[in-house]
Formats: sequence, structure tokens, C-alpha cells
Amino acid sequence: MTRRLSAGLAPGLALVWLLLPAVPVLLWVGAERWSFPGVLPQEWGVRGWREALDDGLLAGLGRSLALALAVAALATPLGAMAGRALGRRLARRPRLVVSVLLLPLLLPPFAVAMGLDVVVLRLPVPAVVAVVAVLAVLALPYATAAATAGYARCPEALEEQARALGATPRQARRLVVRPAVRPSLVVAFWLAFLVGWSDYVVTLLLGGGRLVTAPVLLGSTAGGTGNEAAVAALALATAVPPVLVLLAVAARPRGLSGGTG
Amino acid sequence: MRPSPVLPGVVAVVAVAGTGMGAVVLTSFGLMPLVGEPSASLDGWRAAAPELGVAARESLLVALPATALALLAGLLLAGVVLTPGRGARVVRTLVVVVLAVPHLAGAVSVGLLLGDGGLGARVLAPDGGWPALVGGPLPVATWLELAWKESAFVALVVVASVGPGHRGRSEVAASLGAGPLRRWTRVLVPSALPAAGASGLVVLVYGIGTYEVAWLLGRSYPEPLPVLAFRLFGSIDLGDRPAAAAAAATGSALALGLALCVLVAVPAAARALGPALAGQEVRR
Repeated sequence: MTRRLSAGLAPGLALVWLLLPAVPVLLWVGAERWSFPGVLPQEWGVRGWREALDDGLLAGLGRSLALALAVAALATPLGAMAGRALGRRLARRPRLVVSVLLLPLLLPPFAVAMGLDVVVLRLPVPAVVAVVAVLAVLALPYATAAATAGYARCPEALEEQARALGATPRQARRLVVRPAVRPSLVVAFWLAFLVGWSDYVVTLLLGGGRLVTAPVLLGSTAGGTGNEAAVAALALATAVPPVLVLLAVAARPRGLSGGTG
Repeated sequence: MRPSPVLPGVVAVVAVAGTGMGAVVLTSFGLMPLVGEPSASLDGWRAAAPELGVAARESLLVALPATALALLAGLLLAGVVLTPGRGARVVRTLVVVVLAVPHLAGAVSVGLLLGDGGLGARVLAPDGGWPALVGGPLPVATWLELAWKESAFVALVVVASVGPGHRGRSEVAASLGAGPLRRWTRVLVPSALPAAGASGLVVLVYGIGTYEVAWLLGRSYPEPLPVLAFRLFGSIDLGDRPAAAAAAATGSALALGLALCVLVAVPAAARALGPALAGQEVRR
């Protein structure tokens, strides 16, 4: 009995830790009226959603989707090229290359964006292009790491066998290597997508307030009014798409690592 | 000679991060003004100087405890995920969900949980007396949000790194009489240390550089470096731009300096950093 109780205690505490911080948003999105000190809303409804839609939620989600797809489309091929060289040990000075590619993880994004804001103002570069470029670079460590893992797991012998059977180098890459590493590249794409979708500070600084994505809309609403229902609806709408993406990726046969082996 | 396939990625990082950081440093010394002629000066640093030390201390006050809490919670979550059972599957799914939630959405929810009129106050202190956990003297809400989100990252990295051999090692320890707590302290934690170190480094640097979480949940003074830099950057007085750049440069130096210290002190963490980012597979 005691053993069964203790065996259930750890998962129970883990569930509390993981779920509790999300509970207020889940309650507020269904609250029409929730005065203090009520533990539950006095009246349920969709006031928050109505106001979030009036604030431009759908347009914000659309911009977030476009931004995240652009970031992923740029970061994935860059990460795949670097990942192939690193995974296959083709790169010269691999430690230096890895250090450079991991650098975006160690620099605060707000500082990079703040510096680039001054540069972008002097160059004929649209702000949205600068936002995509910065976010793609911030996503590059994740995309590279996922692609590197995929190429490292794909045995070189596969390519050699294809060559021995008469395939040209291009055919061997297209017909043998690429299908084998595709799951890792899919993971790289969606990790980069998440970086693009979730960003707030780079979009706000470089977008100059004109690129109103879902997180930017959420930030301006949360920092301004005291309208908890609308803020909760915006927060939930901002959180659900990346959650669905990551759950779909994690449900794949090799989970979040992708790969072949 | 064909160009190296790593070149596009390396050039992109150097161009974007190098240009951004270079421009921040130049701006802080008056060499890249928004308007007017460049003129080398320490005015930006002098203007920011009284606040830089306080802001750096506040940044460390935010980042260090949040990292420690994220590591502890992440290792405990990893222990649950690695223990066979239905509970582990549910926890594993929720860990993935929490990892995907944007920090800003997490900060909003934590604010609605721990704020003055939040769910915590409604349940535990309906008659008043709820402590100032949001915007109070200690950044409790900021710690909780960062630790909540980042514990999921730590847990997935740890599970991926120890997963393949953990079940066998744990079964051997159990057959020798080790209980769950001892298996966690003597089997999981030692084998997870490099991955935990690598993920902890990422969390620490993120904690120092985070703007939105500290801005929403932290106190108005003293501010951590990103919030200070952002406030000065948005000032209607363009003369504050060099001071904002000085705060941003200080934040970057603090993050890079701490990262270098960790990487030198724990070389295993440096080696685990790349695989940690790639191998976020959750195995049972």
C-alpha cells in the first residue's frame, strides 16, 4: 500500500508542477465574469475570445504562421548543409564551426536585435526581412543539431552501396541519403518554426511595432489593460499551435530526435 | 575548390550576430548615432553606469535561482519519465506541451496564478495578506515561470542522453536494494550530469537575456539588464540610445562570460551541448 502510494506520488507531483501554472489561463478563457475572491468564474462565457478577435487575433496568428514558416524555410537548408558536414565529419576545424553555430544560443536576442535596428534603419532592408534573418540565425543551432544527429546516424555505407550499384553521387544522395535523413530534417524544420512562432522581443524591436504577430499582440495586451479574459484567450491562442506542432513531431516513430537508426 | 557546406550557416551567424553585437558596441561609444555625426564618447556608459551594477545583480538574481530550480525540477521530471508506467507516459506528453508553450504565454498564466488577484490569492488568501510574488522584492514569479518552462527542456535533454542505458542500470540498482530516491541520486543524476550541465548553461544564458518574462512579472526597480536596455531604447530622448546599447552590451558580456566559465569549468557540458540540442528524443 505504502509502496503503491509512493509510486503514484512522484507522477502526481510532476503533474501538479506541469499543469498548475496553466490552470489560470484555462479558467480565464471561459470566464464572462470572475470577481475576486471567487475561486471559479461567477459566469461562464466567451467574452475573452470576442475581445481577442476584436483586437486582431486572427490576423496576428496569420502573421505568426507566415513568419515562423519563413524562418523555418531559411534555417532548415542552412542547418541541413552544416549538419551534413558535421555529421559526416567533412568539416574542417569542426570545433570552431560548432562554436560559431552555437553562438546564437549564448547571445541575448534583444542585444543582437537592438544593434541591428540601427543598421536596418540605414539600409534599404524591409524590417520583416531583418526579423526573419535574425530569427533564422537564432534557430540555426537547433536546426543544425537536429540535422547533424540525422546525418551521423545515417551510415555512409548506404551511400557507398548505392554508388557500387551504379548510382551517380547525386542519385545516391537523392534516392538513398535524403530519405534516410528526412525525419531529422523535418524535426529541424519544426524546431526552427517554434523559434519563429514564439519570438516576441526580436519581432517587437526590429518590426518597429508594425509586424503585429500573435506574441506581439499578447505582449501589448498583457502589458496594457487589465482585461484578464482577453489576455488569457490571446495566451491560449498563441500557445496552442506550437503545442500541436511539437506533439505531432514527438508522436513520430523517433520522437523529437528524428533520424534513421 | 568547392566551398565548404558549413559556410552559409557560419556566414549567416557571423553576419547577423556579428553585425548586431558590433552595432551595439559602436552605438554605446557614440560611433553609430541614430541622427547626427559619429563622435567617440563614453557618455552612454557614463549615463548607464549608476544602473549597470544594480541591473547586472538583478539579472543574476533572476537567472541563477531559476536555473537551479529548473535543473532540480527537470531532473525530477526525467526520473518520473524514465520510470515505466502509465503516469510516465502522461508526464512525458505534458513535458512536451510545456516545452512548446511560448515564454510570454507562460508568463501571462503565472501572473494570473501568483498576482494580487490571481488564482493563488483567491484560493489561499481570499481575505488579503497574499505576498507580493509578482513585482515584489524577490522575483518569485519570474523564477517560477523560467523554472517551469525550462524544466521541461532539461528533462527532455536528460532523458535523451541517459535513455538507452538507464533502464538496465536502474534495474541493477533496484536488484541491489536501491529504492526510488537512491536510484535517482546514485544512478540517474550522475549519468545525467553532462547533459544537465549543457542544458543548464542554455537556461542560464536565457535567464540573463530574457526580456518579456522579467518585464511582465518582475518589479519596476531595479530592473534586470534586458528590461533596463529596452526601457532606455524606447525613450523619447534619442540621447538615451547609447546608454541602452551600453546596458545591452553589458548583458551580452555577462551571458558570454558566464557561459565561458561554465564551459571551461565543466568540459563535459561543452561536449554535450550539441547532442543536447539535437537529441531531445523521449525514450522510455
